[in-house]
Amino acid sequence: MSGREFFTSRYEQLGWQYQEVTLKQAIRINNNNSKGKKLIARLADLGVHLHKISFLDSGYWVLDSKVSAGATAEYLLGMYSIQEAAAQIPVSVFTHLKGKKVLDVSAAPGGKTVHLADLMENLGGIVALDVDKWRLNALVNHLERCRVSNTVVYMLDARQASTLDIKFDRILVDAPCSGNFAADKNWFANRTLKDVERNAGLQRELLTEASNCLIDDGEIVYSTCSLEPEENELNMDWAIKNLNFQIEEIYCNGEKGLTNIFGKQLDPSIKRCKRLWPGETQGFFVCKLKKRSLQQ
Amino acid sequence: MNTRAITDFASQFGVQIAVNLDLMVESAERFYLVNFALKPLVRPTFFSAGVFLGKAKEGKFFPSFNLLGMLAKKEANRIILDKKAAWLFICGRDILRKSIVRVQGPGKKDTNTLVFNEFGECLGFGRIVEKLRDSANDNGIVVRNVLDIGDFLRRER
Repeated sequence: MSGREFFTSRYEQLGWQYQEVTLKQAIRINNNNSKGKKLIARLADLGVHLHKISFLDSGYWVLDSKVSAGATAEYLLGMYSIQEAAAQIPVSVFTHLKGKKVLDVSAAPGGKTVHLADLMENLGGIVALDVDKWRLNALVNHLERCRVSNTVVYMLDARQASTLDIKFDRILVDAPCSGNFAADKNWFANRTLKDVERNAGLQRELLTEASNCLIDDGEIVYSTCSLEPEENELNMDWAIKNLNFQIEEIYCNGEKGLTNIFGKQLDPSIKRCKRLWPGETQGFFVCKLKKRSLQQ
Repeated sequence: MNTRAITDFASQFGVQIAVNLDLMVESAERFYLVNFALKPLVRPTFFSAGVFLGKAKEGKFFPSFNLLGMLAKKEANRIILDKKAAWLFICGRDILRKSIVRVQGPGKKDTNTLVFNEFGECLGFGRIVEKLRDSANDNGIVVRNVLDIGDFLRRER
């Protein structure tokens, strides 16, 4: 079960008509490094013209650019990061990050880790995990470029995160996923339903381990760039039924999570999740889970 | 832990820095500075932690940009470049005398200097190979590029 027709007919059943998408480049300003720097004007002087993204606090579309936005002095000084617009959402939906202990699961190449550090104003601590050494090197370069000082990085499979023996206030599970066609031209040719199901299984393992590392009343933000419900709404339905989570309301761009998937009725709270079909951004899914305390 | 490499490096820029050993961690001759909030999160298997200060290799010390940033906050020796030269420096080029807008510190030959742009941002450091002042040859190279922020792009190749 694979191919363009198979997947697009699934999307249609979920209420979305397939359309080709061309993604626009986006940047996210690192406020800690750019305070008082007149960054937008400096970039305009270089021929990099930006437009504020209405649904993000620090995100800008790159309208046109005479130079590579990834090779300016301002970029190399960590004043901004190049980050797809939808990928800027997950970190922004956490509550009260400053001073907290935060776990970033599958952190490399570090765009969201840097975003966390920026919102935390480098206070508190982040533990960032990944398994691939090459990707970890990209992560630590990103941290150094953006002057992040509150992060400890481990080469560790997030399914073993509890071996660190740390309880976290917040956990970002930006899970490895099947991706989506908007960000990968060969997506339909390369993906099968079996891949999707395998990824969904891995994501449940990550959620289970994240749950073990989270304090009572702590928050997990779960996100994927997959459009497949097995990796999104169905996993969230499983998490609230098996891991003692409740889904919190979030206020960000996107449509309500789907509560009926191919005829299967899910918990009504799933509608609090956000699903972004490809269009202005790539496809994305975000959900905030709160761990119920033992008294509840 | 031997922090001498770090303090010696700082002294080459005419400043002293004190390193709190309680907050230093090391892995494979790479040195990191953590704070009190972060230290409880550091386990012996860490890959990186807090502020990377630099690495030692075969007896030589290679500073990080974080360390240069720490020196930049002090009164370390520095030169400020004009706009064009600042960009060329990031591209790995050496510095001509005519590109230097201002010098802070003695600017003596065979010492190190931080290199700044006109916005007061540290772009890296270089080795002074000719006197920065009092010379007739404006087109001569006076500072050799040792490390610049363009390194972030070169590392990814």
